[in-house]
Amino acid sequence: MTTRSLGQFYPVSSPVHALDPRAKLLATAVFVVGLFLIDSMVGLLFVAAALVALVAVSRIPAGTFLRLLRPVLFIVALTVLFQVFFSREGATLFEWGFLEVHSGGLRLGFFLALRILLLVSSAGLLTATTAPVALADGIEDLLSPLKKVRFPAHEVAMMMTIALRFIPTLGEEAEKIKGAQAARGADFSEGGPIRRARSFIPVLIPLTVGAFRRADELADAMESRGYRGGEGRTRYRELRFRVSDALALALTLFILLVGILL
Amino acid sequence: MKLELRDVRYVYAPGTPFEVEALKGVSVVVEQGEVLAIVGGTGSGKSTLVQHMNLLLVPTSGEVLVDGVDATTLKKSELRRRVGLVFQFPESALFAPTVEEDVAFAPRQLGLDEEEVRERVLESLRALGAGDLAARSPFGLSGGEKRRAAIAGVLAMRPEVLVLDEPTAGLDPATREDLLNLILSLRESGVSVVLVSHDLDEVAEVADRVCALHEGRVSTVGTAAEVFYGDPALAPATVRVASLLRGSRPGMGNPVRSQETLDALRALQGT
Repeated sequence: MTTRSLGQFYPVSSPVHALDPRAKLLATAVFVVGLFLIDSMVGLLFVAAALVALVAVSRIPAGTFLRLLRPVLFIVALTVLFQVFFSREGATLFEWGFLEVHSGGLRLGFFLALRILLLVSSAGLLTATTAPVALADGIEDLLSPLKKVRFPAHEVAMMMTIALRFIPTLGEEAEKIKGAQAARGADFSEGGPIRRARSFIPVLIPLTVGAFRRADELADAMESRGYRGGEGRTRYRELRFRVSDALALALTLFILLVGILL
Repeated sequence: MKLELRDVRYVYAPGTPFEVEALKGVSVVVEQGEVLAIVGGTGSGKSTLVQHMNLLLVPTSGEVLVDGVDATTLKKSELRRRVGLVFQFPESALFAPTVEEDVAFAPRQLGLDEEEVRERVLESLRALGAGDLAARSPFGLSGGEKRRAAIAGVLAMRPEVLVLDEPTAGLDPATREDLLNLILSLRESGVSVVLVSHDLDEVAEVADRVCALHEGRVSTVGTAAEVFYGDPALAPATVRVASLLRGSRPGMGNPVRSQETLDALRALQGT
């Protein structure tokens, strides 16, 4: 178990965790689309406040949640800088050589940064509050109408489940191999970027070999337990769309509508 | 060298819901030239413990001493050369196109010249009875051959303490026998060996001292005879047989190795 990162499930019990994954998937989709329809700062701030409240309800500690956002901070910073220095709208606030900062650019930079953060936060909240298997089940259900046009909804969901399931396994395996190579004198922190990248070769090769071996073993294990695709396959945990799920979805829609109108 | 762990505590993933205290204050000494076996159930902290011996894991509290010196003050590369750690299933870290290249990885990291590297590679492959594998691809070997190559990769650093985490798990009897003989010959040449194992019979054969872990704490430590006769229920087969007989024949002593047990039984027959 290593550091937590974007998209990891955070297993506590909360009203958000208890929602049907389909409701959460749809709500997230609504949220993401809605974000791009909001064009006022007030609207965006309103939606942001609603999301903060939602995170609080989900019982994910604020610090943990903020750590989820760390990987995108670079992109956010880049966006802000780009807008601040290259936009020529509004009053000039600051001038230094060819660099000019305008109020419009500052405003736009902040607006876009907030939009990106909200985008990532909503996806992060979805994966943090939904077990990977439930998520895949939800996706399968939502995609199942497409089965009519021969879309392999079950297979896609199964691949996702397996991929998600094996992220921590591969992570652990990578840690172990890193340890084994470190014990043989490998150093992953010294030298420039090229030397550091090269130092990972002794980790990446065994990791890849191991992943293929694992895939083979998994396929054998699945077959020997009678897996033969989605046809007629039932589920241990049936998804149930309750009134609370409909309410949650309606609430999301409402918040986004208010945000758009503000 | 003498390696000492003093009151080592280790917490995985502190401050998260996954927080686990794997070691709860473990003190243990590895003396120069001894074979110390570490036994204990799964999850007792054995693998976590051995990763502290070359500071791959740094104790949450407590210290690791090398000949009385705080190991954190030593250079990491130096410490890892002196304390060679072989992970469980070490063959999963083989990566080079040939066994020779793979075994050469560690000595090359030490900055030795090519001649010295070559010499060490052949020496450690031979020590593991794998001299004929040098030119083969590690991915085309059998399980036992892979294990030999992987252990040779650590031995090539000529460590002063060799730490083996379940080196015989899943091995065929012949490779296991070779490995145990390697452990004994290393001890012969003054190298200390730490052997983590679930196989009490092999522990009985090679260990000078045994340290038993239970839920992150040392439950017993002492000579093999002390530990195994202290709780014969958890002892290897020869000790269980000897313990049964000792009730009526105290004269047979505390044999631990199968040869000792055999000798003791013969002596009983004679009387």
